[in-house]
Amino acid sequence: MKTSRFFSILLVLCMVFCIAAAGGSAFAADDQIIIGLISPNTGALAAYGTGIVTGADLAVEEINAAGGILGRQVQLIKTDDQSDPTECLNAFNSLVAKGVGLIIGSATSGCTSAITDAANEEEVCILSPTATADSITTEDDFIFRACYADSFQGAIAAAYAKQAGFDKVGVVYCAADVYSKGLFDSFSKACAEYGIELAAEQSSASLDVQDYTNQFTAMVNAGVEFVYAPYYYDVIGPYVVPQARAAGYSGIIMGADGYDTTPDYVVAGADLTAFNDVYWTNHYDPSDTSEKVSSFVQAYEAKYGSIPSAFGATGYDCVYMYKQAIEAAGSEDSVAVRDALADRSAVYECVTGTFSLDESGTPLKGAAIISFQSDGSTVTSKLVDVVTQLP
Amino acid sequence: MKKNKTARGYFLNTAVIVLLFTAFQILTAAKGSQGAFKLVLVPSIWQCCYLMVLAASLNLVLGFMGQLSLGHCGFMAIGAYTAALLSLACERAEWFDGKNDPRFLAVLIISVLAAGLLAALFSLLVGIPALRLKGDYLAIITLGFGMIIINIINNLPFCGQDGLALGSAGASLYKNGLGFGSKAKVQFLWFALAVTILSLTLLFMFVRSKYGRAIKAIRDDEIAASASGINTSKYKVLTFAYSAFFAGIAGALYACTNATLSTSSFAFTNGGILNSTFVVVMVVLGGMGSLTGSAVAAVIMFLVNYEIKNGQWVSLLPASLSGIFEYPMLVYALVLIIVILFRPKGIFGTYEFSLQNLIPDIRNAIKRHRAAKAEKEEAKANA
Repeated sequence: MKTSRFFSILLVLCMVFCIAAAGGSAFAADDQIIIGLISPNTGALAAYGTGIVTGADLAVEEINAAGGILGRQVQLIKTDDQSDPTECLNAFNSLVAKGVGLIIGSATSGCTSAITDAANEEEVCILSPTATADSITTEDDFIFRACYADSFQGAIAAAYAKQAGFDKVGVVYCAADVYSKGLFDSFSKACAEYGIELAAEQSSASLDVQDYTNQFTAMVNAGVEFVYAPYYYDVIGPYVVPQARAAGYSGIIMGADGYDTTPDYVVAGADLTAFNDVYWTNHYDPSDTSEKVSSFVQAYEAKYGSIPSAFGATGYDCVYMYKQAIEAAGSEDSVAVRDALADRSAVYECVTGTFSLDESGTPLKGAAIISFQSDGSTVTSKLVDVVTQLP
Repeated sequence: MKKNKTARGYFLNTAVIVLLFTAFQILTAAKGSQGAFKLVLVPSIWQCCYLMVLAASLNLVLGFMGQLSLGHCGFMAIGAYTAALLSLACERAEWFDGKNDPRFLAVLIISVLAAGLLAALFSLLVGIPALRLKGDYLAIITLGFGMIIINIINNLPFCGQDGLALGSAGASLYKNGLGFGSKAKVQFLWFALAVTILSLTLLFMFVRSKYGRAIKAIRDDEIAASASGINTSKYKVLTFAYSAFFAGIAGALYACTNATLSTSSFAFTNGGILNSTFVVVMVVLGGMGSLTGSAVAAVIMFLVNYEIKNGQWVSLLPASLSGIFEYPMLVYALVLIIVILFRPKGIFGTYEFSLQNLIPDIRNAIKRHRAAKAEKEEAKANA
């Protein structure tokens, strides 16, 4: 009893003293280029964090094996934000206090928005792999991203509906979530432009609701055959798609990059033919046969034994974008790298496409439209089309 | 004599606080621009401040009044959004120009007070019907309330993205008028400390007043209390509102610390340290019925949370140990288990740390310890 209490106190004291030590010392070797990584490695969106970390790790490994950047090795410092803005800011501050000037992160728009102001104040570069909200990047700042913005992604879905000949569509979304609502806004705006009628519109209370039967019954009653449902993988697999089919809806369900990794989250034993006629837009398609993509997918599979998600691909791309920017700038000084990234004539040849950044720091690139296919026991993805420009 | 002692206590505490405060200001002025101080220490103090106010305010309901409330973060969310939107409105109306404007200070104080008042108002709405229930039922209704608040805020069109009807309803409010950057956090550190000290003092004064004695009586035996002429439901609702007021103020401090707000931070399912269950854990850890205990527990919980994510010593640990740290929730649970196993009353129990009584308290504790030892030995000898 006595010794246990002693140890408890000792443990507490250790932690108290460590906070002082945490900020003080720079620990990396001088000749290394350090890149910070903030991602949700635990918590509700851990699959995103895992994807980004594995992708970035692979890129760093490749770069180091090929001689590094400017002849120097690259080191990645990884931190976890639990997809919570406070934790994201803590992780950012601890990285900056360690002298890190180049940061990749974070996965979601909510977290990334928590660190954008701080990054501008501290003059630290932020390159987000997947924060798609339009308002994240603005002109003349230190914030960049490797993915397209929501306003583009929603419009692509509308363009696809138009192309496929639907003039009457429905939407099931969550008005309370910035991702879902942002996509809904751009989708409905594009629909108005293309002359598509928004015949039914249903909202759920939050992004993690587990019952969508009423919403899809309303879709059936409205007689629509195309429903846009921007949600994340954690509800699409187990709830949205099976419940939509159970409610008698047999048309097309279309989503966005949140559908990535859905096949890992379907309910085993359920009738998976429900996933036929489900389409979604994504940053890239792993079955693409171009040299860039296939070599990335092969290397990733060799290292981790699985097909990389879009988060793995954008995480991988972020490291290479930094590599190119550092080489263009000639140093890893954050202001110089910022200027290199802000150069709109630079062309990045990445896994998720060949693109340059626009004035806000968002890539001008296309999206892959992917469909799920199922024989009843497994769900696989198939590339339908690659859209580079809106009609 | 007694009165004299209380006055001396207040004097001593004020003197020490003023002394520490001045020393801290000098330190801030000297080291304010340095990286680690600005980026690690100051934001940590800000976070500790709101956690301390939050835990201490819940202790009033949980520890002193004996009612289990699981919706405390709901009040904090109300406070955070009130302060954020009010200051944002002032910024949009250009009532103040930057954070150095003296008028900003007025806006800041008004926002913090408004945050507290609105949270207290909502707590009256919930408290008047809910506090007629006891034990588990109250816990369930307050738990529900916390979730309802999150969903309401989620669906208010003026709480999302850019705020005040300029953006769509959404889980994140990207900017608010009183969100402090790193430099401003150093500059306004005195404000966070002053609000925290003032809040804790007011909570102390409440506990020491006749209201405090009344709610302790209700905790110990509600029937006996009401038989002695205490209007139990009035005192319960009053205390609930008083506690919610400070939860609202903690929310306002949270809004200052994080320039962005996201309702998921206050949600019951949040995996971080800011959810209603976790505040209960802090209170239990510090000792139900000890405000200083809650403050200490809030700091400990913050350090645990911060260290397992950002501490460098984590990477020095063997893989099997650092593997646990990849699941922070596990570590919180372990800390709680250790405390409950070896000290079921919590770290402080019902003891209140006091500068004036520190020396006599230590002396008494040693005396008691010796007496217990002697008794044990006597028992052994007798056996």
